[in-house]
Amino acid sequence: MKKDFYEMTYILNPVLDDEKFSELVSLVNKLIEDNGGEVVDVDEWGVRKLAYDIDKKSTGYYVNMYFNAPANAIEVVERNMRINDDIMRYLTMKYDPKMLRYYELRKKGDLPVVFEDVDEENEDNDDE
Amino acid sequence: MINNPSHPKKGHLKSKDCKFTKAGVEYIDYKQTELLERFMNDQGKILPRRVTGTSARHQRMLSRAVKRARFLALIPYVTENMR
Repeated sequence: MKKDFYEMTYILNPVLDDEKFSELVSLVNKLIEDNGGEVVDVDEWGVRKLAYDIDKKSTGYYVNMYFNAPANAIEVVERNMRINDDIMRYLTMKYDPKMLRYYELRKKGDLPVVFEDVDEENEDNDDE
Repeated sequence: MINNPSHPKKGHLKSKDCKFTKAGVEYIDYKQTELLERFMNDQGKILPRRVTGTSARHQRMLSRAVKRARFLALIPYVTENMR
């Protein structure tokens, strides 16, 4: 079956502890793998301040991940994520060729520079 | 004002060429919030093309990226002016 490349970012309830975070992350990964997908990369950003309150909470635990999956898996994964109360937000995006090229460049750290000083800020973030 | 090159307001406009085209950007990522914020005013609104000089294609990409970032609470929908 044809698989596409996806990016997904989701926000977990920040009230939980580290153990529960990793449990939820592996739950999502398992969900994808059980539906014929394979996880490529998982990047946990950790607890970050939200720009506005979601469900009366001002922080959230961000997880950014990349995976290959067949199209019908997304529906199942998203349905399960919607049911889970500890996942406050999720956003799934299918990658087109331009986005894939961008992803490759980003991995190599070879992104086109729009503003000189913006790029320096990005480098600072990578060091953290 | 538009047709008069010596109009005093003309100098206040920012450069008219698209910064994304110049840099060869193919996709604007919603995760680059510092970049997105440069194309928004202090209320959190997206600046119009006539102010930033962004090309139509990149303005579409930009607005999509801003809306995704807003949904994930990376940047605010509205910022209150009173602090």
